[in-house]
Amino acid sequence: MSLHSWFIALGQSSLGHAMQTSKWDFALVEMVHLLALALLGGSVLVVDLRLLGIIFKGESARLIGRDLSRVLIGSLIVMILTGIALLSEEAGKCYYSPAFRWKMALLAAAVLFYFTVHRSALLRTDHGRPTPWARTTALISLTLWLGVGIAGRAIGLL
Amino acid sequence: MTLLQHLCQLLYDSGFGTMIRESDYAYSIIESVHVITITLVVGTIAVLDLRMLGLVLRPISITRIARAVFPLTWSGFVIIFVSGFLLFWAEAAKMYTSPAFRTKLILLALVGLNPLIFHSTVYRRVHQWETLHVSPWRARVAAIASLTLWGGIIVAGRAIAYF
Repeated sequence: MSLHSWFIALGQSSLGHAMQTSKWDFALVEMVHLLALALLGGSVLVVDLRLLGIIFKGESARLIGRDLSRVLIGSLIVMILTGIALLSEEAGKCYYSPAFRWKMALLAAAVLFYFTVHRSALLRTDHGRPTPWARTTALISLTLWLGVGIAGRAIGLL
Repeated sequence: MTLLQHLCQLLYDSGFGTMIRESDYAYSIIESVHVITITLVVGTIAVLDLRMLGLVLRPISITRIARAVFPLTWSGFVIIFVSGFLLFWAEAAKMYTSPAFRTKLILLALVGLNPLIFHSTVYRRVHQWETLHVSPWRARVAAIASLTLWGGIIVAGRAIAYF
């Protein structure tokens, strides 16, 4: 099955049908998506500002990364599930949307980066001052996550 | 027509309000800034609330977390208030009658009241409990109230698009 036919199948599923016919279902899922965004964005921001050496200097970057990763993962799961529901409303159209494609590419890059390079920078920094390498990692992380948000907003506009 | 409604209509009809409303990009860009700044305002407050509930960053004291996140929260608040006011300006006449917008304003007033009560009560003795892994029950109530109210503000804000 091609990727496109998965999108079509999602659009024609009972989930897609519910999202297309009930305005309230869509609104409700959108609200939950936004609530999770607040938590995800907050944890990314605090972790990356620690890695930049702007806040929580001297506190363990390892501890902050570990604790807030739980918040990040929890809200990421909620955002992905609600995101699939939102996608099902116009799956066929989203497949061809450049904004949607950008969002998915940036999301994949952000998640991959977060759990590899970014994680190792947090572990290495721990209680110390961030190296230029750790700061660069934080800036890349912030840029990728912000990019996901901007591309996400653009889906409804472009 | 009440005075307030009249003022809303004046804003709505003003050149600047009309410009934002009718521009191809202005409204969407301001709205995007408004939505993304939620992370700066609510996201950072949530970190402090979760700490008071004992769910994250337990080894770090409450005041240390408050000192780290409040500059972010406040700068976010300036951005979200200014962008929100511009969005209101463009749609003021519709906002006057929107039940979702009214709900949002009431919730905003309540969320402002919460820290006022918190700071004049249990937070005055914060140095006695700031290092406890789980804060006293009054602080936990304030944290839950804050998370609930901010969540309600996001939901009501999104609902403005619908009613």
